[in-house]
Amino acid sequence: MLRVDIDRRIGDFHLRPQFAASDLVVLFGPSGCGKSLTLQAIAGLLTPDTGRIELPGGRLAFDAAARVDLPPQMRNVGYVVQDLALFPHMTARQNIEFGIAAWPAPRRRERVAHLVSLLGLEGLEDRRPREMSGGQQQRVALARALAAEPSLLLLDEPFSALDAPLRAVLRRELASLRRTLDLTTLFVTHDLNEAYTLADRIVVLDDGAVLQHGSREEIFRRPVSRRVAELVEVRNIIPGVIDAYLEGVAVVRTPWFTARVRDPNAPISGNVYVCVRPEHVLVLREGHEPRHGDVVLDAEIVEEQATSNNHRLYLRVPPVDADLGEPHIIEADVPAHPYEVLGIASRRDWRITLAAEHVTLVPRD
Amino acid sequence: MTAIGRSAAAASRRHRLGLEWLFAAPALLMTLFLGVPVAALIWRALTGDQLADNLTTALVLDALRLSAITSTVTLVIAVLIGTPLAWLLARRDFPGKTLVDMLVDLPIVLPPTVAGVALLVALGRRGVVGETLDEGGVQIAFTTVAVIFAQLFVSAPFYIRTVKAGFEAVEPVYEGIASTLGASPLRSFIRVTLPLAWPSIVAGAILCWARALSELGATLIFAGNLRGETQTMPLAIIAAFESGRSIEVPIALSVILVAAAAILLLLLRVVARTAPAMR
Repeated sequence: MLRVDIDRRIGDFHLRPQFAASDLVVLFGPSGCGKSLTLQAIAGLLTPDTGRIELPGGRLAFDAAARVDLPPQMRNVGYVVQDLALFPHMTARQNIEFGIAAWPAPRRRERVAHLVSLLGLEGLEDRRPREMSGGQQQRVALARALAAEPSLLLLDEPFSALDAPLRAVLRRELASLRRTLDLTTLFVTHDLNEAYTLADRIVVLDDGAVLQHGSREEIFRRPVSRRVAELVEVRNIIPGVIDAYLEGVAVVRTPWFTARVRDPNAPISGNVYVCVRPEHVLVLREGHEPRHGDVVLDAEIVEEQATSNNHRLYLRVPPVDADLGEPHIIEADVPAHPYEVLGIASRRDWRITLAAEHVTLVPRD
Repeated sequence: MTAIGRSAAAASRRHRLGLEWLFAAPALLMTLFLGVPVAALIWRALTGDQLADNLTTALVLDALRLSAITSTVTLVIAVLIGTPLAWLLARRDFPGKTLVDMLVDLPIVLPPTVAGVALLVALGRRGVVGETLDEGGVQIAFTTVAVIFAQLFVSAPFYIRTVKAGFEAVEPVYEGIASTLGASPLRSFIRVTLPLAWPSIVAGAILCWARALSELGATLIFAGNLRGETQTMPLAIIAAFESGRSIEVPIALSVILVAAAAILLLLLRVVARTAPAMR
C-alpha cells in the first residue's frame, strides 16, 4: 500500500495530498492542481516540508518527523513523465538498460528481452528515440521504468502527447499489462474519459488537496461536493432546499421542480445542490408514461451540440412559479440512435425526466 | 495583356525588389574589407620566396612548439576545472553566484593587457600572492607557466560561458529520471548530462583553444617575450618585426595561425551541424 500524507508550500500554492493507494489508482484533477508535484514528491524529486510517504511493501521513503528522506535513486520507483524524457543519445535498449546497469550481464539481457517482448518492441532495440513513433517511444519509456522491477509505477499523463486512437490502444495495453504485473500504479490524468477507463479507484485532487477518494462509481455517481461534481462533469448542479426527510427520502425543493431523493450519503436538511449527470436526464417518448418517483419536467431545446455518437441537449425548464426565478438550463445527453428514433431534430418541446436513482445531493453553503 | 494587368505586373516587380538589392553594396564592401587582408597574406606567403624555409626557422619552430604546448595545457585545465564551475552556475544557486558569474564574464570584455597587469600584480615576484610563493621558491611570472596562466585567464571564460549554456539547455527532467532509475548524481552527470551537453562542450573547447592560441597582450606583460620559454606565435610575430630583418617570417607565422583558425572554424561548423541530430 502506498501511503501519502505530505505538505509542501511553493509560493502561494499549498500542496497537501493525503491518500493511500494499491492496485491502479488514478490521480484525477484539473491542470495545476498538484498532480505532477505529488508524483515528484513520491519519486523523491520534490522534498515536502512535512509529512510522510510510505512505499508499497511498507518501506519508508519520507518522514519529516523521523528525518527520513530517501534519495530518488534508493526508492526504486518507476516514473514516466509527460514528455517521456527518453535519453535521446541512447538506443531503446540502452534506455531500458539504464536502470539495471549494475545487474550481471546475462540477467540484464534476459530482463531486456522480456520487456521487449512484453511491450512489443521487437526489432526496435537499436533505434534512437527520434527514430521511433510516439507510441513506440511511449512503450520504451514504460519498459525503462519497469526494468528494475519497481515496487511502484508512477505515470504522469503518459498518453497526452498521442492522438486519440493510439491513446485508446495504449490504455487497453496498460490495463492488461497491469494485470500481468501486479504492481501498484498511480496514473495521473486530467482527462475524465481516461480516468474512467483506467481506474479501479480515483483520487480527486484540486488546488493541492484531495477532495474525494473512492471507487470509480462513487466518484462519478456520488460526488461529495459541488467542486467534485463539477470536475467529474455532472453538468446539472441545481440549487435546492430540503423541505422534509422521511425514511431515507429527502424531499428537495428547487425553483423548477421538487424531487424525492434517496441518497444514503446525502445531507438530510438545509441547502443542497441536486446533481444529475446529463446521461441520466431522459427524453420521454410521446405517450410514454414516466416511472413513479421520477421528476418530470416540460422543457424546450434551446441549443444542442453533436459529437459523432452523442447529442448534448440544452433544455430550458421554466420555474414552477413564474414570479420566482428565471428558467433553468438542464443538459441531457442522448446517444445518436435514440436521438433519431425519437425524432428530436424535428421537435423542440419535450417532456424530460430525471431518473430518481441517479439523483444525488451535495451540501450547499 | 490588358493595361491593368501590365500596371499590376509593374507594381509587383517594383515592390518585389527586396531589401537585398539595397543592402548588397555595403555588404560587399564589408566582405572585401574582411577578406582582402587574409587573401593578401596567403597570396604573399605562397608567391614569396622560401615559405618552407621561413616556416622552419628556429624562431618559428620554437614559437610553434611553445604555442602548441601552452594552448593545449590551457585547454585541458579549462575543461577540468571549468566544467564543474559551468555546471554549478547552470544548475545550482549558491551565495556569491552573481559575483562569480560576473568574474567569469570580466576577462571577455577586459583588454588582455589589463589581464596581464592584474596577473602580474597578483602573481608577480612582489605581487599579492606572488610574494609568498617567491619565499617558497616558486616563481611564476616570466615563465612558461605564466604563459599558460595568461592564456587560461583570457580564454577559460569562453569555455565556461558556452558549457554553462549547454548545461542549461539540458532539461533537468533527464537528470531526475536518471536518478529514479537508480543513478547516483555523478553517474547521471556522466551518462546523461555530459553527452547531452557534448556539442556545447566541444564548441566551448574550440573557442577556448582558439582564444588561447591568439593570446598576446596578457602574455606579453605577465610572461614577457623570451624565445623558447614565453614566446608563443603571436609574440614571435612581434619579435620578428622588431628585429627588422624581413616581413617574411611574420608572414609565415601568420599563415600558420590563419590555417589553425580556419580548421577550428570548420570544426565548429561540423559540431553545430551534428548537434541537433543528437536530440
